Amino acid sequence: MRKAVSIIGSRLFQLIIMILILSFATFVLMKITPGDPVRALLKVDDVISTTDDKERVMKEYGFDKPILVQYVQWLWNVAQLDLGESIISKRPVLDIILDRLPATFALSVGGMIALFVIAVPLGVLGAVYEGRWPDYISRWFAILGASIPSFWLGLLLIYFFSLKWNLLPVMGKGTLAHFVLPSITLGIAMAPLYIKILRERLVSTLQSTYIESAYARGLGKGRILLFHALRGSLVPLVTMFGLSIGSLLGGITVIEILFSWPGMGEMIVQAVMQRDYPLIQGYIMVVGLLVVMTNLIVDLLYLIIDPQIRHGKEIS
Amino acid sequence: MKLKKVLIFSIFIVLLLTIIGCRSANEKTASQESNEKSVTMLFSFASKTMDPHQDWMGVRAGVAETLVRIDGNLEIQPWLAEAWERKDGKTWTFKIREGVTFHDGTPVDGEAVKASFERVLETNEAVSSSLKIESMEADGQEITFVNTEEYPAFLSELVHTNASIVKVEAESIGEQPIATGPFKVTSFISETEVNLERYEDYWDGAAKLDQVKIKFNSDGNVRALALQSGEADIAYHLPPESLEPIESNDKLRVESVPSLRVHFLLYNNANPALQDVNVRRALDLLVNRPVAVKEIMNGHATEAAGPFNPNFAFAGETEPTSYDPEMAEKLLKEAGYRKNADGKMEKEGKVLTLKLATYSGRPELPLLAQYLQGEAASVGVDIEIVTIENIDSYLWERQDEWDMVTYSNLTAPRGDGGYFLNVAYLPEGALNPGQIDIRELNELTEQLNTTADPEKRMELQEGAVNVIQKEVPHSFILHPHIIVGVNDRVKDWEPGSEEYYLITNKMDVK
Repeated sequence: MRKAVSIIGSRLFQLIIMILILSFATFVLMKITPGDPVRALLKVDDVISTTDDKERVMKEYGFDKPILVQYVQWLWNVAQLDLGESIISKRPVLDIILDRLPATFALSVGGMIALFVIAVPLGVLGAVYEGRWPDYISRWFAILGASIPSFWLGLLLIYFFSLKWNLLPVMGKGTLAHFVLPSITLGIAMAPLYIKILRERLVSTLQSTYIESAYARGLGKGRILLFHALRGSLVPLVTMFGLSIGSLLGGITVIEILFSWPGMGEMIVQAVMQRDYPLIQGYIMVVGLLVVMTNLIVDLLYLIIDPQIRHGKEIS
Repeated sequence: MKLKKVLIFSIFIVLLLTIIGCRSANEKTASQESNEKSVTMLFSFASKTMDPHQDWMGVRAGVAETLVRIDGNLEIQPWLAEAWERKDGKTWTFKIREGVTFHDGTPVDGEAVKASFERVLETNEAVSSSLKIESMEADGQEITFVNTEEYPAFLSELVHTNASIVKVEAESIGEQPIATGPFKVTSFISETEVNLERYEDYWDGAAKLDQVKIKFNSDGNVRALALQSGEADIAYHLPPESLEPIESNDKLRVESVPSLRVHFLLYNNANPALQDVNVRRALDLLVNRPVAVKEIMNGHATEAAGPFNPNFAFAGETEPTSYDPEMAEKLLKEAGYRKNADGKMEKEGKVLTLKLATYSGRPELPLLAQYLQGEAASVGVDIEIVTIENIDSYLWERQDEWDMVTYSNLTAPRGDGGYFLNVAYLPEGALNPGQIDIRELNELTEQLNTTADPEKRMELQEGAVNVIQKEVPHSFILHPHIIVGVNDRVKDWEPGSEEYYLITNKMDVK
């Protein structure tokens, strides 16, 4: 318990430091990259208003002040749990993000299920039949999955499952069926790394002494694989997940746009295009928070699932 | 302990599936109960809000209406206002149609219109600066606007969808605005879909359809696939390369109408070489418009002769420039260039090299750039292409770096060219990074800005187009078409060039 409290404490401290660095870096980067929210704001259709209007609006939003002043002002608001207002839609940033977060979360879970359904059997096949044809299939799949762009894979799946076989809806969110294609796309995109790690881990576990002794005790092959080797080998996958949450959120964007999935992906692409600074900044904060939180949960999960770590650390 | 983790994970998954399952069950019953007439439209630009003062979707979806609109011939027609009068340079009085009601049944009068305008002026920077309203006064069915300055283009600015009339007292204008159109919003999920149902007391006759669903997807290929699978009845803005299976399907059809947009080349007047009209004309002659239309746009475009859609009366009569490399070479020679030993055009020891900026926001623009590069090379002009992510800021912040740019604009989206002439050609115009400054054109534009008589405006705009064609500050290439895939069961509907009025009370299904 003491261990858990100290982990949480140190993580919270890290969190604050990380948010300060992250937010300042993005703030500065956003301001020095070309692009202009005022132009986006003043655009009627495609045509922008006059240069005078531009200066007036710049002033109104405080964009004419030095970056540091703008940043401190923003930080002060965040400290009061105010992420500001979207420049373009005028809605509170926190509301916009919270509207979007559940859909992205649901799709991430869908993708994880697909990931495990794909990666575990293929990883196991690769390890058990090491050097034989099922291993090659598994490895080829991993290479293929890693090299196919998600948007193309998604289109391919839509073409076959929706158009040719008429099994699943093309796009949108609503029913369980709507989850299938985007989840599979996401799952395939993430699977290669997991297949590889699971396979390698299983190969080394299967050669370890405790598996040999299990064989010696006369346990069946399937039983050993399922209850001894696999369970131990799944642990690194949990770590992997903690590490890949950031890239997951990046990869999910393409899939959300393709399948009209109302998550944060489409929102952030729009926001970046329109240079909606408060929304971009808010998104980065929330994602940063999620990454840290996930890693914290993973660490705490370790305490639960791996007694060795708990006891080992407590003794030392 | 490992079991515990597996257990937690399983419980979580089961819970999640239950939630999703319940939701899907609900949706099914809803759609099974309805055997009414409905249409699903798939659109490319997602709407963040249904607030007609912030987003186009209010008018597009047939929910909200403006005082005046433009018709199929792109001319201004009465809509919620049945008549109007311009009393002096700055004062306009509009008479609101009798018998128009908001979706909650309350009548629309001058006060309601005034309240709606007060709201848009307060919440929308862009519209507020384009309407230039100083004060308003309501009297029965009439409303009087006073502009901050003499502003004849006010009438056409009122066509803007954001200037539509909503009931300001409505609780959630962002999700369910109360307005005057043939359809009202039943539900809206931001950037995902909007569901509409017929408003029975619509002033122009209740709609033929019971329900309409508009969904958004920014991927053109997915939109095309959704049309083919029957998930959408109308799919907007299809990529030309996706049309073949749709055209060969006898249950589907493709509609292709010239848009109010023009793809063009913008020249930077800061470059001395480009200050010579002969050089600009030579480059204009190198643009092979028929080939661009056929090869780059797959035929879904109309060659451009000037900035405005040829259907406009003020677009001018001139034919698009014909491709003529020989003439181009001659003009370059007139401008003092000679071919050197390497076959390059050279003047005072310097080879004519131009930096052409392009951006991939519209995928055909980089192709046009490459095509032009090839044509220019054939007469000995070097074009160096740079692809820019954010073209607008690049043009302004690096004005000394580029010589030409492929650009694309809506030039008269509300039926009047005054706006484009102002922003693109006046020296202080917000769309004039190339520092175009042609005295004759400036004078015509300034005169236009104080002229209200529609016929006189027409003449002045046509005159401006003539100057543009003579001086070639831009090379207009083509008007891309709006390509829409339609299921044959949809009838009495076709897309308009203006892209404002997508859902109407007239549209029906077989």
